[in-house]
Amino acid sequence: MGHHNPDSPSHLKHYFHDVNQQYETSKFAMWAFILTEVLTFAGLFVAYIVYRSWYPDMFVDAHKLLDVNKGLMNTIVLITSSLTMALAIWAIQKNNKKLSVVMLVATFIFALVFLGIKYLEYTHKFEVGQLPGEFYSYMGPDAAHLNNPHIFFSIYFIMTGLHGLHVAIGMGLIAWLIYSTQKGNLTSEYYTPMEMIGIFWHLVDLIWIYLFPLFYLIG
Amino acid sequence: MSEHHITPLKTYLIIAASLLFLSGVTVWVSYIDLGSFNIVLAMFVATVKASLVAFFFMHLLWDDKKNLTMFLMSLMFFGIFVTITMLDTGFRGDLGLNPETKDPINKRAAFYDTLPLTDTHGHPVDEHSDEHHEDKDHH
Amino acid sequence: MSENTKQNYLNHPKGIMSWLLTLDHKRIGLMYLFSGILFFFLGGLLALVMRFELAAPGNDIISNEVYNNAYTLHGAIMIFLFIIPAIPGALGNILLPLMVGAKDVAFPRLNLASFYIYSFGALFAMYTIINGGVDTGWTFYTPYSTQSTSNVVPMTLGIFIIGFSSILTGLNFIATVHKMRIPGLTWYKLPLFVWALYGTSLVQITATPVLAITMVLLMLERFLGIGIFDPALGGDPVLYQHFFWFYSHPAVYIMILPAFGIISEIIPVHSRKKIWGYKFIAYSTLSIAFIGFLVWGHHMFTSGQSVFSQIVFSFITYFVGIPTGVKIFSWILTMYKGQVSFTPPMFYALAFLFLFTIGGLTGIFLGAVALDIHLHDTYFVVAHFHYVMQGGTIVAFLGGLHHWWPKSFGVMYNQTIANIAALGVFIGFNGTFFPQFLLGLRGMPRRYATYDEQFVELHSYSTFWSGILGISIFIAVMNLFWSFIKKNKVDPGSNPWGGMTLEWTHTSSPPHPHNFEEEPVLQHGPYDYDKVIVEKTYKK
Ligand code: HEM
Ligand SMILES: [Cu+2]
Repeated sequence: MGHHNPDSPSHLKHYFHDVNQQYETSKFAMWAFILTEVLTFAGLFVAYIVYRSWYPDMFVDAHKLLDVNKGLMNTIVLITSSLTMALAIWAIQKNNKKLSVVMLVATFIFALVFLGIKYLEYTHKFEVGQLPGEFYSYMGPDAAHLNNPHIFFSIYFIMTGLHGLHVAIGMGLIAWLIYSTQKGNLTSEYYTPMEMIGIFWHLVDLIWIYLFPLFYLIG
Repeated sequence: MSEHHITPLKTYLIIAASLLFLSGVTVWVSYIDLGSFNIVLAMFVATVKASLVAFFFMHLLWDDKKNLTMFLMSLMFFGIFVTITMLDTGFRGDLGLNPETKDPINKRAAFYDTLPLTDTHGHPVDEHSDEHHEDKDHH
Repeated sequence: MSENTKQNYLNHPKGIMSWLLTLDHKRIGLMYLFSGILFFFLGGLLALVMRFELAAPGNDIISNEVYNNAYTLHGAIMIFLFIIPAIPGALGNILLPLMVGAKDVAFPRLNLASFYIYSFGALFAMYTIINGGVDTGWTFYTPYSTQSTSNVVPMTLGIFIIGFSSILTGLNFIATVHKMRIPGLTWYKLPLFVWALYGTSLVQITATPVLAITMVLLMLERFLGIGIFDPALGGDPVLYQHFFWFYSHPAVYIMILPAFGIISEIIPVHSRKKIWGYKFIAYSTLSIAFIGFLVWGHHMFTSGQSVFSQIVFSFITYFVGIPTGVKIFSWILTMYKGQVSFTPPMFYALAFLFLFTIGGLTGIFLGAVALDIHLHDTYFVVAHFHYVMQGGTIVAFLGGLHHWWPKSFGVMYNQTIANIAALGVFIGFNGTFFPQFLLGLRGMPRRYATYDEQFVELHSYSTFWSGILGISIFIAVMNLFWSFIKKNKVDPGSNPWGGMTLEWTHTSSPPHPHNFEEEPVLQHGPYDYDKVIVEKTYKK
C-alpha cells in the first residue's frame, strides 16, 4: 500500500484511481444488480402470463376479489415515496443536509404506510380464506364457480410478497441512510450510497407499476 | 463530485405529477370494456410510467449509456424467457392427435370437492339452506 | 524486481485471521481453489462408488435407493459446488485483476462475501448427506421432487444460497472488466481469458436469478402446494422444466466459457505464436453466451412440450455449433506452424481439443429431435455431457492450474509426473466414457443401479478405466500440491512458459500483495509473439 495520496478523500478506496472511477463503478454495478432483480421477478411474471393465458376467465373473476381502492392507494403512496427519495438526493447534491434527512424520513414513512395497507389487505384475505395453494378455502357465491382460483392467489401472494419484502429491505436501507446523513457522513462530495439505494427504491416502485394493473385492474 | 448532473426540482415535480395522473388514467380505463385491448392499454400506460421512473428518477437519461444497456438487457432476457416459453404453453397438443393434451392442466384440483360453500366472509354455509338469502344479507 | 520481492501475497500479512478476513482477490481465489478441489474429490468418490456398483449387473454394493442418492449428490456437488463456483472463483479471482493491471477486483468486500455465501450454501448441501441424502437427480423435476421424502428442501435451499454467491461474483467481475483496466488496455488488448470471464459473468447475472426463483417456487410447492408445478393442483410440471433449463442450459456455458478462456491462453503461449482470429474468439464468446439463452428446450424433447417449440429449439440448437466451431478452428490454426512445446498445460489443452470436440459433436446429435427421442435419458447423454464437462471443463481447469501454478504459488511441480498423469487422464477418460456412447445407442437408460446382461462387457470396461481416470486425476492434483509442500521454489522473476500477459511480465511469482509494485504500463498486446520476443526464464 502506501500509495495513498495524502489529499485524496477518505472514502476513496486505495484500488481506485479517483473518486469518479469509484462512483461510476458502483453505479454500474448497481445497474447490473438491477438486472438480476428484474430477472428474479421475470420468473414470476412468466408464471403469471402462462397461467393467465391458460385460465383467462378464472383470472378475470378472481381479480374481482381484490380491493382496487387499496391497490390504488398503495400506488399513490409508492409514487410519492419515489418522489421524496429523488428529492432527498437532490437536496444532498445541493448540500442541504436537513432537507435531505426530512425527505428520507418521509420516504420511510410512506414505505411504512405501504406495508400497513398491504397488511390490511393480507389479513382480510387470510380471514376469508383466499389463500395460496392448498390453503385456499374461499367458496363464496362470487368464487364457487371458479376453476382453480388458488393458483391466482398463489401468484398474487408470491409476487406481492416478494415485492413487499423488497419494500421492507428498502426501509432498512433508508433507515441506515437517515442515520449516516444525519451524522454528516454523506455530503454533496460523497453521496454514492444514497444514489444506489435510491435506484433500488425506484425499482421497487417500478415493479409495483406493473403489479398494480396486472392484479387489480384486469379487464 | 460536483460535476454530477443535478436534475432541476421542477423536473421531479412534473414527473411525479404525470405518474399520479397516469395511475388515475389506468384505473379509469380499466372500467371501460375494451375486450382484449384493455390489457394492451394497461401495459402501455404502465410502460410509459416505468420509463418516466427509469429515465428521470433513476437518472438513466443522463447516465453513462452502459447503465441503460444493462437495464434494457434485463428486459430483453425477460422477453426471451416469456416468448420462448409461450411457444410451448400456447401450442400444447398442436398435432391434434390427443385432445387430452390440448388443455393440459385445466382439471380442477381435487381439494375443491371437499371445500364447503361459504359466504363472502369465508364462513361455511349449509348447502341446503337458501344461499340467495345469505347473499342478500351482505349486499 | 526490487529487494521488495521477498514480500508476496502468500507470506504477507501473516496469521489465520489475515486469511479468513482477507480482501485480497488472490487469497480468496486460493480459498475457492481448496474448497473446490475438496468437493471435486467428494463428487469423484461418489462417482467411483457408482461405477463399481455398475461393474456387474444386480445390486452388488449398494441398493437402488442409495444409488439414487449417489447420482443426485454427485451431480449436485460437481455442478453447484465445484464447477460453477470454483473455476471462476479460483482461477478467475486469482488472475482477472492481474490480467487487467488492477490492484484488486472492483468490490473486494463483496468478493469475500461471495466466498462465505458459497460456503454457507455448501453447508446445507453437506447437511443433506448426513441427513440421508436426496434422490431426485440434480434437476429436481416435479412432480417427484414435490413428493420425495428425501432432503429436497435443504438441497434446494443450499443451491438458492450458492446462487447468490454466483451472482455477486459475476457482478464483481463485470464491474472489474469494465472499470478497472489500466489506461491503454482497450477491449481488444484484453487477454482472451478476460473475455471469457466477462461472458461467463454476464450469463451468471442473467440466468442465476431465474434459478433462485425456481428453487423458491419449488420449495413453496412443497410447503403450500401452490399448484404452479403440480399437475394434481392444476399446475404444469413441464413449466418447471422451462424454469429449470432457462437457467441450466446457460449454466453449461458458465461451466465451459472459462475453459475456453484457459485454452485461449495456453495454446498461443505454448505454441509461441500470435493467436489466430482474436476477434473471432472474443465475439464467439459473447455470441455463445447469448445463443445459450435460446435453446433450453432441447432438454425437454420428450417432456410433452408442443411440437412447434420442439422444432424451434432444435433449429436454434444447431446455431450454438457455429461460434463453438469458430473457436476450435482458431485454436488449431494458432498451433499450425507454431513452436509447440509439449508441456503439461499444452498436453491438457490438446486433450481438451480432442475431448471437447467429441462432446460438442454428440451434442449436435442430441439436438436433433428425432434422434434425441431415442437417445434421451440414455448413457449417450451421460457420455455427451461428461465429454463436455469433464473432458472439456475439468481438463481445461487442470491445464490452467498447471499453466498458472508457478505464477500463483511460486513453485514448480514435477513436469514428468504431470505429463504422465495428463496422459492417464486422457486415456482413462476415453476408456470410461466412450463405451457409454455405445451403451446409450444400444438402449441402456441412465440413473439405474443395475442393467441387463447384454451390457456387461461395456459397463465393466467403463468401470475399469474409471479407476485409472480417478487415480490419474488424484496423481495430477497431488503432484501440484506436493510442489507446494516441498517448497520447490522458482525465482520470483520466472516466466517459465514465456507468457506475454501482465501477470507474467509485470509482477513477481507469487505476486506482490498489491499485485504490482507500481501501476503497469502496457508495452504490447497479449499475444504479440510476432513483434516482441519474451524470454522463457525459469530458475530455481
Ligand atoms: C455444441 C454444443 C452443445 C450441444 C448442441 C448440446 C446439446 C445437448 C442436448 C440436446 C442435450 C439433451 C439431451 C437429452 O437429455 O436427451 C444435452 C444434455 C446435456 N448437455 Fe449438452 N450440448 C452442447 C454442449 C454442452 C456443454 C458445453 C455442456 C457443459 C459444459 C453441456 C452439458 C450438458 C449436460 C449437463 C446435459 C445433461 C443434463 C441432464 O439431463 O442431466 N452440453 N446437450
Ligand atoms: Cu443444453
